[in-house]
Amino acid sequence: MGWVWERTKSIAWYTEIFFHYGSQYLKSKMTYRADFIINVFSDFFLQSMNLIFILVLFDHIPVLKGWSREEMMFIYGFFLIPFGFYSGFFNHLFDVPEKYVIQGELDRVLVRPMNSLFQVIVETMRLELVFGVFVGLAVMVYAAEKMNLTWSWWDIPLGMMLATGATFIYGGVYTLLASLGFWFEGRMGLMPLVYNISNYGRYPADIYKGVVRFILTWILPFAFTGFYPATVLMKREEYYYFGLLTPVVGLVFWAFSYFVWTQGIKRYRGTGS
Amino acid sequence: MVIIEAKGLTKEFKIFRRREGVVGAFRDLFTRQYQVLKAVDNIDFVVRQGELVGYIGANGAGKSTTIKMMTGILVPTSGHLQVNGFCPHRNREKYTRGIGVVFGQRSQLWWDLAVIESFRLLQRIYRVSEVDFQQRLHRFEDILDIGDYLHLPVRKLSLGQRMRCELAAALLHNPTLLFLDEPTIGLDVLAKANIRDFLKEVNQTLETTIILTTHDLGDIEALCSRVAIIDQGKMLYDGSLDQLRAHWGEDNLEEVVKDIYQGQQPPGVKGWGE
Repeated sequence: MGWVWERTKSIAWYTEIFFHYGSQYLKSKMTYRADFIINVFSDFFLQSMNLIFILVLFDHIPVLKGWSREEMMFIYGFFLIPFGFYSGFFNHLFDVPEKYVIQGELDRVLVRPMNSLFQVIVETMRLELVFGVFVGLAVMVYAAEKMNLTWSWWDIPLGMMLATGATFIYGGVYTLLASLGFWFEGRMGLMPLVYNISNYGRYPADIYKGVVRFILTWILPFAFTGFYPATVLMKREEYYYFGLLTPVVGLVFWAFSYFVWTQGIKRYRGTGS
Repeated sequence: MVIIEAKGLTKEFKIFRRREGVVGAFRDLFTRQYQVLKAVDNIDFVVRQGELVGYIGANGAGKSTTIKMMTGILVPTSGHLQVNGFCPHRNREKYTRGIGVVFGQRSQLWWDLAVIESFRLLQRIYRVSEVDFQQRLHRFEDILDIGDYLHLPVRKLSLGQRMRCELAAALLHNPTLLFLDEPTIGLDVLAKANIRDFLKEVNQTLETTIILTTHDLGDIEALCSRVAIIDQGKMLYDGSLDQLRAHWGEDNLEEVVKDIYQGQQPPGVKGWGE
């Protein structure tokens, strides 16, 4: 019981710190007034363009291997949710090798009484990009309406669980990539490569052949960030088996990546890099 | 009460030796040559509560490595190290609650935010109560004279102003032990004097133990009764400033230290550096 109480207190504390960092982030964004106004507009503009682009794009795509355009749109919309969280919280983990390891910013992180990965994430986050999540929700709702999908109340907790799992996969992949910076000096050529691969997750995975599909499912499991979980919400029963695995894959991948991170920190503290 | 206890503390780094030329670089791709460097070599070091110790050495002598081990950033290769009752690198998150750290070359304040906002964030991180926070803040405003620019963004401060804020930030949670790595680097004479006064005051009234590395011997003369000198990873001298001068028969500390860095032995002292 004591352990549970300690954990709960610790989670509450990290949540408080997170929101405090968040409000500081907004304040620092607002220090340059003109900049801030332009940013708000450009973010809004960017997300609207995204939305319009998706609507127009899917208007021109015919049926693809048995997937209607509404279904593909729905998958894409679901994908934008973990992608939004990734853009907001994990994208800048690519600063880790250069800024934190080589330039030694990690020294400052390690003398503070907080989890090191948590600190790096809240220091590098771009909160405004999280709004992409709403674009994703809008696209999903639109597509669902168009294909007359019937919703029930349990689709909401289910969808949240799937989206959380998908977000954990993104977080895991980028934590893993960032951790590699502890072993390999210099800029990471892998980041753009992985980014490109991640983009395949937003299309029906059965359009890919053997190896690509295997990689997207089991190695860099980006198929679980869009396609598989979305099929569950669309009631395409033939993929339930994979789709419902999303939270498990997310947790396992995240746990593995976090383990690699802690090993990286150990290495940093051994070598001082 | 003993705050820091180090016995046989050693840190080795494995350094990758690059070969010359294109051919060398190519060979490096396949076989790598490593060289082991002892950055800190078998150091014994004891610090008691309330001491203010100056830790000096030439560039690359091993000062920063020692400080990094004591602050829990680096894990020692061998030896025993206990600080504040903790083994710093294990239990890092608990241990760091009780220490304050200032790196002269690296800011711990948020660049775009007003100073007070950084303090508020640190207040939450170190779980400082509002009463304590206000009380300490007022105190620092008084003696560090930072009240006027608490509401300015850090990037607008001069180096001297910023360093005073860094000190306040490192002391907001009232640590029992304060590590300062070159806190006066790049400061003008007046700013240096201001910071020295403050450190003296903190050391005396709050009984904060302070470990200070510096290249400015003026810092040492103004603050430290005890000085530790490290050279090539080895502890050359650890004792009072007066005795150091007496050993060398020379009052000018700068001359003494210059001789030491050049590897000279003090006249007529046996067992120097052992």
